[in-house]
Amino acid sequence: FPPAFQAIPRNPIVLDLAYNTMEFPSLENRMKKDKKGFISRLWR
Amino acid sequence: PSPASQPAIGIEDLFTTLNRHIQRSEHEQAVKVADQVLSIAPNDEDAIRCKIVALIKNDSIDEALSTMESSRKLQIDFSFFKAYCLYRQNKLNEALEPLKGQEGNSAVMLLQSQILFRMGKMDASLDIYQKLQKSKIESLEINLVAGLVSAGRASDVQGMMEAL
Repeated sequence: FPPAFQAIPRNPIVLDLAYNTMEFPSLENRMKKDKKGFISRLWR
Repeated sequence: PSPASQPAIGIEDLFTTLNRHIQRSEHEQAVKVADQVLSIAPNDEDAIRCKIVALIKNDSIDEALSTMESSRKLQIDFSFFKAYCLYRQNKLNEALEPLKGQEGNSAVMLLQSQILFRMGKMDASLDIYQKLQKSKIESLEINLVAGLVSAGRASDVQGMMEAL
C-alpha cells in the first residue's frame, strides 16, 4: 500500500483554445490620464 | 440638470472602472459598467465590444448574441465573436459562415479547427492545427494529439511531439 499508479486509456481531451483569443479592446485612451505633468497640475 | 457634455459620472471614470474589472476578470461587473457607459453613449464601440467579450467570458452566450443582434445597425464587425457563440451553441454549420474570408488570422484558424473537429471533419481540422504549429499557440499540441487520435492516426503522435 498504496497501490501503484496504472495508466488507463481514455478519450483525448480537447481544449477550447479559441476562448483565450477573445480579447477586450484596449481602453488605454479611454481612461482618465493620471500622469499629468507639473505645469498642467497647476492649472487643474 | 447638468449639460449633456458633463454627465454626473464621466465616461473616462467609467472606463477606468471597467478596465479594472477586466484586469480582475470580474466579468459580471464589467458588463454592468459597460451598460452604464452605453446608457450615456449608446453607440460607443469600445463599450459594446467590452460588453460582448465580458458576456462571452461569463458564459452568457445567448446574451452576447442578442447584444450583437441589437447593435447590428452600427455595422461593427462582430463576425469572430458571432462564430464563437454559435460554436458554443453547437450550431456548427452556422458558426463556419461568419469566418469565411478571414482565414489568415490565427485566432480564426483556431476556431475553425475546433468547429471542424466537432463536426467530425478530422482531416480538415488537423490541417489547420498543423499550419498553426508555427504560431506557437499555448497548449495547441493537446488538441493536435486529440485530433490525431480521433482520426485514427495515433501512431503519428510521437513524431508530431518530437517535431515540436
